[in-house]
Order: sequence, then C-alpha cells, then structure tokens
Amino acid sequence: MIEELASTFPILTCILFLPVIGAVVLWLFDDEDMVRTSALAIALLELALCAFVLLRFVPESAAMQFSEHVPWIPALGISYHLAVDGISVLFVGLTAFLTVLIVIYSWDTVRHQVKLYMMALLALETTTMGVFLSLDLILFFVFWELMLIPSYFMIKLWGGGAERHYAALKFVLYTLLGSVFMLVGIALLDINYHQWATLRHIEPTYSFDLLELLSVPIPLSQQVLIFWLLFLGFAFKAPVFPFHTWLPDALFEGPIGMAVVLAGLKLGTFGFIRFSIPLLPDASKSQTVVSIIMALGLAAVLYGAIMALVQQDFRRLLAFSSISHLGFVVIGLFALNYQGLQGSLLTMINLGFSTAGLFFIAGFLYSRQQSTHLGSFGGMAKQTPLLASFFLFIGLASIGLPGTNGFVGEFLILLGTFKANWLYGGIAVTGVIFSAAYFLWYYERSMLGPLGKAVKDSIRDLHPREILIASALSLMILWIGLYPSPFLKMMNGSVQALVDRLERGTVASLEPKQPVRVD
Amino acid sequence: MTFALTLSSSDLLLLLPEILLTSWLCLILIIDFSFPQLPNEQLAYFSIAGLVATLGCLVWFDVAGITGTLFANMFALDRMALFFKMFVVGSTILVILASIDYIHRFKFFRGEYYFLVVMSALGMMFMASANDLLSVFVTLEFSTLGFYVLVAYLREDIASNEAGIKFFILGIFAAALLAYGISLVYGETGKLVFSDMTTVQASPGLVIGFLLIFAALGFKIGAVPFHSWIPDTYHGSPTPVTAFLSIAPKGAAFAILLRMFFVALATFKPVWTLLLVAVSILSMTYGNIVAIAQKNMKRLLAYSGIAQIGNVLIGLATGTKMGSDAMLFYLLTYLFANLGAFAIVIAVSEAIGSEEIDDYSGLGRRSPFLAFSMLIFLLSLAGVPPLAGFIGKLYIFIAAIKEGLYVLITVGLINIVISMYYYLIVVKKMYVNEPHDRSPLKVSGPIKVVVYVCLAGTLAIGVYPQPVTDWVVSAIMIFSNVADPTASLPIPPAILPFGG
Repeated sequence: MIEELASTFPILTCILFLPVIGAVVLWLFDDEDMVRTSALAIALLELALCAFVLLRFVPESAAMQFSEHVPWIPALGISYHLAVDGISVLFVGLTAFLTVLIVIYSWDTVRHQVKLYMMALLALETTTMGVFLSLDLILFFVFWELMLIPSYFMIKLWGGGAERHYAALKFVLYTLLGSVFMLVGIALLDINYHQWATLRHIEPTYSFDLLELLSVPIPLSQQVLIFWLLFLGFAFKAPVFPFHTWLPDALFEGPIGMAVVLAGLKLGTFGFIRFSIPLLPDASKSQTVVSIIMALGLAAVLYGAIMALVQQDFRRLLAFSSISHLGFVVIGLFALNYQGLQGSLLTMINLGFSTAGLFFIAGFLYSRQQSTHLGSFGGMAKQTPLLASFFLFIGLASIGLPGTNGFVGEFLILLGTFKANWLYGGIAVTGVIFSAAYFLWYYERSMLGPLGKAVKDSIRDLHPREILIASALSLMILWIGLYPSPFLKMMNGSVQALVDRLERGTVASLEPKQPVRVD
Repeated sequence: MTFALTLSSSDLLLLLPEILLTSWLCLILIIDFSFPQLPNEQLAYFSIAGLVATLGCLVWFDVAGITGTLFANMFALDRMALFFKMFVVGSTILVILASIDYIHRFKFFRGEYYFLVVMSALGMMFMASANDLLSVFVTLEFSTLGFYVLVAYLREDIASNEAGIKFFILGIFAAALLAYGISLVYGETGKLVFSDMTTVQASPGLVIGFLLIFAALGFKIGAVPFHSWIPDTYHGSPTPVTAFLSIAPKGAAFAILLRMFFVALATFKPVWTLLLVAVSILSMTYGNIVAIAQKNMKRLLAYSGIAQIGNVLIGLATGTKMGSDAMLFYLLTYLFANLGAFAIVIAVSEAIGSEEIDDYSGLGRRSPFLAFSMLIFLLSLAGVPPLAGFIGKLYIFIAAIKEGLYVLITVGLINIVISMYYYLIVVKKMYVNEPHDRSPLKVSGPIKVVVYVCLAGTLAIGVYPQPVTDWVVSAIMIFSNVADPTASLPIPPAILPFGG
C-alpha cells in the first residue's frame, strides 16, 4: 500500500482552482491591459504555489504527498482525492511554468477577444492541473473531458489556419471517442473492486480511488481488456500512432498557445504511467501487449521522423516530430524497467521545454512573416541572430545533444530499451538520427545560406518579451541537461515503487494471510 | 374483488396533493370566466401558486414519510410516486413560467391554456401512482387529453394543426392498443393490480397483452419504433407545450414502466431485458443519427430527446435497483438540461421570431447569457463533466456494466460521440459564426428565472450530486427485491402503512 502524507493546508486545491477563479475575476475587467496584467499575476501566483510544492516535496519517496481526500459522491464511491508523487509533481510545475510563458507570449500576439482568450487559457490550466493531481479516476476523467472545452474554443476562435473549425471538431471528437472507451475501462475497474469488496465485506463497496483499486487483485483476462480500453483513451490523447491524425491539424490550425499545451504536456503518456501500468501490471508485461505497444511505438518513431523530414511547414514538422518523440516515450515506458520508466518520465518533462520551446520559436517566426512555411524564410541568421541562436539551441535540445536535457532522457530510454530487448533498442536509435536530420535540414534551409526572397526588409530580431521566454526555456534545458539529479531524485521513489509493483503483479500485492482467490 | 369505497379521513389525506390541485383547477377556470379583463400574467402566477402549494404538500409527504395505498391497491403512494409527482409538478411550474411571454401568440382562450397545462399535470400525478392496469389506462388518457388541445393551440398556424392531428390520431391508436393489451392480460390472468401479478405464468395472450401495453407506453416516452409522432408534433406545437411534452409525460410514463417491469413482470426479467436493450439501442442510434441533419432547433431537440430516452431505457433494461436509481437520477438531470434548452429556444424565438439553427449565429455576441446557458445545457445533454448529465450517464453506465450489458454500453458510448457532434454544431453557430444582425437580444424576467433554475440544477447536481443520489436511492426502496438476484420469487412490494 502506498503511503499517504496528508497536508494540513489544502495547497493542491488552491493550485487546482486558482486559475479558474482567476478566470472568473478576469470577467470583471474591461480594459485589455488590465486583463493581461491580471492574467500574468494569476499565472505567476500559480507558479509560486507550484514552486512551493516542488520545494517542500520529499524526494526519493514513493509516498503520495500533500494528499487531500473528501468523499464526493459516496453512492458511487467517487471521492475528491488529490495528491502528488514523484510521477506527477514535475508535471504540475511544468504546467504552471508553460502557462506563464504562454501569457507572456500572448501579450501582443493575441489581438482580439483578449479577455476570453486569457479566461480560456486559465480554465485550461485548471483542467490540466486536475488531470495531474487527481487520484480518483472519475475526478481524473472529469478534468480530462473538461479540457476539451477550453481547447475547442481556443483552436476555433484564435486559430490562424483556414481549416481551424474542422481541426477543432476533429480534435474534440477523436479525443472523446477514446475517452468513452476509457470510461468503460474505469467502470470495469470499479466493478472488479466491487466484487472483491462485497465478498470480503470491505467498506466502501464501490470505489474509483487509485490507491484502493491498487489493493485488489484483477484477473489477467480482465486486466488485458481494461488495459486496451484505457489504452484507447490515452492513445487518442497522446496521440500514439495510428491515432495521431488530429494532432498535425490541431497544432497547425490552432493558436501557438494551444499548440504549446498540446505538444508540451504529454497527458496521454502520463495516463499510461499513472494508471495503466500500476493498475494493470500483469497485462502491461504480458507478451502480446508489450509486442503490440512496442510495434506501435517504433512505428511512431520512424513514421513521425520520416514525415517530419518532408514537411515544408515548421509547425507541421513539429507535429510529426512530436509524434516521433511520443513513440520514444512509449517505448521507454513499456521497456518496463527502471531506466526506461525514469527516462520516459524525464523525456515527457523535457519535451515540455524543448518541443514547447520550438513552438514558441514557430510563434516568433509567425509573427515576423505571418507564416511558418519554408518558402517565407531563408538566410535569416544574419538579420535575426538572436532568434537563430535560440532556435538552434532549443532545436539541439529536442534532438538530444549531450549537455542538453534531451540527451539525459533519450539516453535513459535507450538504455532501458536495450536492456529489455536489443532489437527494439536498435530500431529506436535510428529515430535519433532521423530527428537530427529533419531538424538540421530545416534549420539550414530557413536560417542559413542566402537571404530568402520573401523575407521582409523590416524584419526585426527578438524583442525583450520574446528573449525572456526563450531564455527561461534555455535555462531549464541547460539545468536539466547539466545537473539532472534534483529532478531524477524527485521521481526515483515512485519509479522504484512502480518497478516493484510490476514485478509483483496485482495478486501478490495482498497480505499473504488472505487466501488468493480470483473471482 | 370487492370494492369497499369507505374513505376515511386518513385515506383522503393520501389524496391531498391531487385534491388540492383539482380545486385549484376549478378556481383557475372560475377566475378566468369571472374576470375576463385580468391580465394573463396574473392567471399564470395564480396557477404557479397552486402548483407550488402542491409541491410543498408533496415535499411534506416525502419528509414525513406519508405513504400508503388506496382503492384496493389501484392507487399507490410510495416514495417513488412522490418522486415522480414532484418531477411533474416541478417541470409544470417551469413550463408555465416559460409560457408567460409566449402566450401573446394565442389569439383566443389564453386563460384556458393554463387550465389545460395544470390539468395535464394533474393527470400525470395520478399516473405516477397508477398501480393497476385500469388506473394506468384512465390516468394515461386523462393526462393526454389536455395535450391534444395544447399541441394545436396555435390555431392560425398550419404546422400546429398538423401536429395536433398527428398527435391525436396516433395517440388514439396507442390508447386502443393499451385497452386491447389490458383486456388480454386481464383475460389471461384475471388480475389487474401489478403487485398481484408476480406469480403469473407465461402464455401467448399474456405476452401479446404486455407487448401491446409496452407499445402504448413506448408511444408516450417516444422510444423507437413508437417515435414517429415526435418530430412533427414537437416542431408544430407551441414551444412551451413542446418543452412540457418532452419531459413531464415521459417521467410519469417511466413510473408506470418501472412498476410494470420491476414488480409485475419481475420473474420474466431475462426476456424483457432483451426487449428493452433492443428498443434502447434503436432509440439512441436513430435519434442521434437523424439529429445530425436537423436545421430546426426544436426538431434537433426532439431527436436528441429520442436518444436521451434511449439512455434512460438502459437503466430500465438492467432490471436492478441500481439501474432504476440511475434512471431517476438521469431523468432529473434531463429535466433541467432539456427544459433549460427549450427556455432558450423560447427566448430566442420571442426575440428574433425564428427557431432555425442558422439564426442562432452569433448568439454569443448578441446575448452572452443565453449563449452560455445554452452551451451548458447542450454539454450536459451530451454528458460532459462536471455537469449533471455526465453523472447521470456515468450512473446508468455503471449499472449496466455491472449487469454485463456490454453491447448496449458500446452502442451508448459511440452515441455519446455522435451526439457531441451535433451539439457542437450549435455551439459553433453561437460562438463562431457572424451574427446576421448585431442587435442585442432582450430576455424577459420569467424566462430568466427558468434559465437560472435550470442552470443551477445542472451545475449543482453535477458538482455535488450526493443529496440527489441519496434521494433516488431511498425513493426506489420498494424495488429492493429485484436488486438481489438470489431471491427466487420476488416478494410483493412492501408498502408502508399510512404514517409509517
């Protein structure tokens, strides 16, 4: 049983609801500058709260920390249960960090309906936080679904592309399709718990609580069924190849702020490591499941990379590189060993800085040339040296150059994968080579060489706000790249607990005195 | 069977809500005739006062635990009946509030409108208590009688007349089926009261009889394949009547369905589960797919209503206590979301004179309040958390998964995605499309009240559903015999003696 450290002050509730309350407060203002300043203040306050949690977090521990637990719908066994552990705590910080940067970025790039935009952004932050903080599966599902609404409006109302209506609808319907299956999986977990609890007269008889669900055995066939149901939910959201087709559309048509959230916060793969693997360890390590997922992961790595190679548009390139990176993360997760899990977790965080960073760069490019298409650029390095340098640096982090954060994560994943199966590892390595190829090739064509015809004469280098964003991201990239141990320490305890759980399976996790009978 | 019609005062007390409303009905008529100059609003508020008093009386019964049966078990007043009576009276109050502005479209008989609405409500209150086949017939027809007139109330409008004729002919047909079914069942068993039928043996006559009765009730709730009257009738009727028709009679008919399937036919559960699964799948799929193509808001809500009824039927198909709890819960969430959506249709139609979805373009800018409320109601209908509709769907799906109805669940879930599509089309019109006319919309006070109440209900039940779940769980206590699959023979429902 995982230990829980309750907190005396409901700080996670504050983190969860501060943005949405802030969004309501924004409604009261009419002046646009006032709206921007308040949104920034709220986002910064949120970041401060998250920093506090990160600082007070006990590293090297598998415990659920800052836990809050209140019954919500007792008739159905649903509770309001929030906590952070080594798996989720960094995502909470990352979400707050990226939201601050998005608010700064949107300062002058979002020109119409600024108030609504900021409100949607803050509402999105609350729902994302909810996904990371919830330990009750229904509570998690509530935020998971709720995310769709601000996202839908953000893509639809502030997207730049002509096809944004189509992209928004596609995004919502795809994700919804996956999540309804996930809901069935969640309900099956509950029913399984119910059967176990009624046989043994355990209270409560219904539960959606992760910690309580972890304490009951699940028959293997049932586990495999639930695994695939949950898989659909997470795979559509992540998106895992071949459920990815909404992503390029949403990232290309939507606003940069939305793209940063979608590409930077890996909610789908977080779902695997938070729920699928710990709840269904026997299914996760069964031969068929591992081979199918590995095949999908490797296909994603190669497909994403090859598709990225031929893209003319930078945002589409990033979308496909994102799919490729997610393939990496999935492979690392289902290597199912310590290094693989740790590397995947770290890579998910890293992508929050590097892929999201490249989307900010795409935004900088867009605000200069009103396009991210290759045809609008060429030889920009002379005109905009700062932009070009940051572009190169964040890009190199995304392809995993040693010294940047990307290297640490990718290295751990490859290490874990080679340990699990050298063949998978061998194929995955080619993805690294591809990623260097597509990035550097695009960089060369857009930034180096003779000045492009379409580049405006009046083009200017980064202005102070943009420099702030780019340097904040670069700082984090360097920090994790050169000194990753504080981050790894935070994860270690939970990752170790997960590895133990995988070895034992669900049945053996019971006390030996109880008869092991699976009904 | 001997009929002892000696009513004691304590028996009369059980009928107090109905007696109260009947006398109020007479008062409404008298006032309408005596003071022809009285403004319509006064009469509306007068009707609402009577309904609120009735609601208060019902709440008192529920809290004090006043239950019992009358007329040799023909009339059962248990907590489930009280739930449905409150459901009917509550929705009637909201419908009358929403009608106040609409009423100027009627050229004649404005006073009688309220009379007919309250009379139908009275009929539906009796329906909630109907515990034998005869009272099912009488109360069902009584409640439909008012609707025959109400549907065709817009006398100048050809669509309204068409709706009236269609509803009337099909309604009469359903009534005939019901009467025929009842006579078959009575002929086979010699019994009329549901709780006496628990030991009947299956026979062809009985099966046909109950199928006919189910068809008549299926007409009432508008489940596929008994739905054909719904689109045109909803479209042509005066909008408040459509709103009323879409919610109150369905609740009352579900009360009868619950008693019929869970009490009278409890032993045949494996058979009727199949029937209900089929009807549920048909209703959800047909309703949602046809809804996609709709251009008119009322028709869209009509088809989405057919699909929603399919969802409620999932709860009935489970045949368990949890399923029936979930049904009640779901109906309550549907009441708020659906009435709220119709209230907005009325408000928009009052302001711009159109009910076409196309004319909702730019509503987000013309009236942020209406557009936001509509968004909430549609999302609740689609089942987006944390709104009431989500908890309702979750409750029903958990009950069904527990019974292993996987095909039904899969179809239900795919339908959620389909329904999201057409709800989002409306959302897109409201928020993204440019308005044809930028002038802001005016919303009258009573409509605002309805929208606020429905918003509060949708949000409150979604965020804090515990009081409602406790309520529905205790309201369905009488069916606890069905919940236990090990019980070999269902025990007749234990109805508490008066005052118990």
